[in-house]
Amino acid sequence: MHEEQPHDSFERSLLIARGIATAVAPDGGLEPVQASLLGAVTDALTDHHIDFSTLEPLGPDELAAVLAADSAESRRRVVHHMVLGELILRPVPPDVARRVALYAGALEIDDQFVRVARRYAQGAFGLAWLDLHRSGFAEHWEMARMDQLKTSVRLEHQLAAGVEDRELAERWAAFEHLPPGTLGRGVWDMYRGRGFGLPGSIGGASAYLAQHDFVHVIADYGTNLNGELEVFSLIGRADPDPKGFAWLATLVGLFETGYVADAGFFIGDLKERRLDRPEMHVRIADALRRGRNLCDRLGTDLLEIDYHDFAERPIDESRVELGFDDKSARAVAAGSPGAFDLAGMSQIQQKYNATLEPSS
Amino acid sequence: MKFAQGIRVRCHDADALVALLREWDAGQATTDVMGYIGTRLMADRDDPGSYLILAEFAEVDGDLTSAEEAERNNQREETERWAAKLRSLVEGEPEWIHFDELYRTGITGDLRTG
Repeated sequence: MHEEQPHDSFERSLLIARGIATAVAPDGGLEPVQASLLGAVTDALTDHHIDFSTLEPLGPDELAAVLAADSAESRRRVVHHMVLGELILRPVPPDVARRVALYAGALEIDDQFVRVARRYAQGAFGLAWLDLHRSGFAEHWEMARMDQLKTSVRLEHQLAAGVEDRELAERWAAFEHLPPGTLGRGVWDMYRGRGFGLPGSIGGASAYLAQHDFVHVIADYGTNLNGELEVFSLIGRADPDPKGFAWLATLVGLFETGYVADAGFFIGDLKERRLDRPEMHVRIADALRRGRNLCDRLGTDLLEIDYHDFAERPIDESRVELGFDDKSARAVAAGSPGAFDLAGMSQIQQKYNATLEPSS
Repeated sequence: MKFAQGIRVRCHDADALVALLREWDAGQATTDVMGYIGTRLMADRDDPGSYLILAEFAEVDGDLTSAEEAERNNQREETERWAAKLRSLVEGEPEWIHFDELYRTGITGDLRTG
């Protein structure tokens, strides 16, 4: 989440961790879920293992001194690390939201996600969603080109469900005839295996959101809600614009805290807590690491890449050319399933998949 | 304690009221956090053409009550411009009513705001 690199000293990482922990700790001290998630993220991004539950306090001015030589973007990433630590609280204590704003101020960062968390703490969930949507997504949507998305139909907004577009649907259907192992065929197999409607067909994902399905295949993430958390952690962090954090903030709101009820194509689902498991913290942290490295190498929003150019090429080759790291051993050990593993499918997807004949 | 400001109006164009509220919310969403936290527009089933706009307020930094935040909001030029637009849409003078929130399902304790 923040710009710490593996070469950062343990001492510096520890100071940053102390500042973050102090900022986001509720009255009774850091919640175990916060300590676990924040620790996993620091571990993945810096290779330094820090136990967030035992840290000494560090005030905003002291943290600002530690980061005095860092760029504004680097300081903003630290603030986002804090915001992640507060967004998983339910409810967000007003004191925590105010304190994070105080730390952000000390770091001279005026950030829309700090404001969103303050709105959550205030109980202004509708306004927070408008804020998140307008601040986090609108600009990206304007940058996504229709030719790149292979659609001629303009959507109402970037998170909207897809609309009928015969040409686009035919283009996606043609992926079926590509050789197994190619990116296009992989995405088609993923859609077929789960009963997803193809982009351009009624009920299918929009051309814009379908972009993330290419990332599922390239990054090898499942399509159940845990897989969506992973893939959007990666996509958001790979975005050179820190506004990419909106993806993770939105999915945590949809699938963990309920702060976001409905984000267009994605509907909230709180049937089970997802972020109360250390394994998910490791998986999300690893996705952030992969995203951070992609950001450094590629410097492009992954949703703005023309994946149709890669459709006929082997998945592995696309993965290498775009600069995707492999999952870490820790993420795999934590149970991160691949895009075609049954464990990476929701129960409904698994049931559908069981009815299928093997494809050629 | 949250505070609600009710505005009872008569209007023959509910869509215009909705549009006016959407426009207001869009403007508020990306400004700094203030006392305003959201609005509901209710249509009176027993009295067609009668509507209640219920705007909710909460504390911000704890130095002002939610009712004081609402009063501060009333003083903003932006709010005055919005109120002028509202008057242009409705029949007669809006009726302003004010409520302190004493209970809300699922919420306990003395909520302070972020």
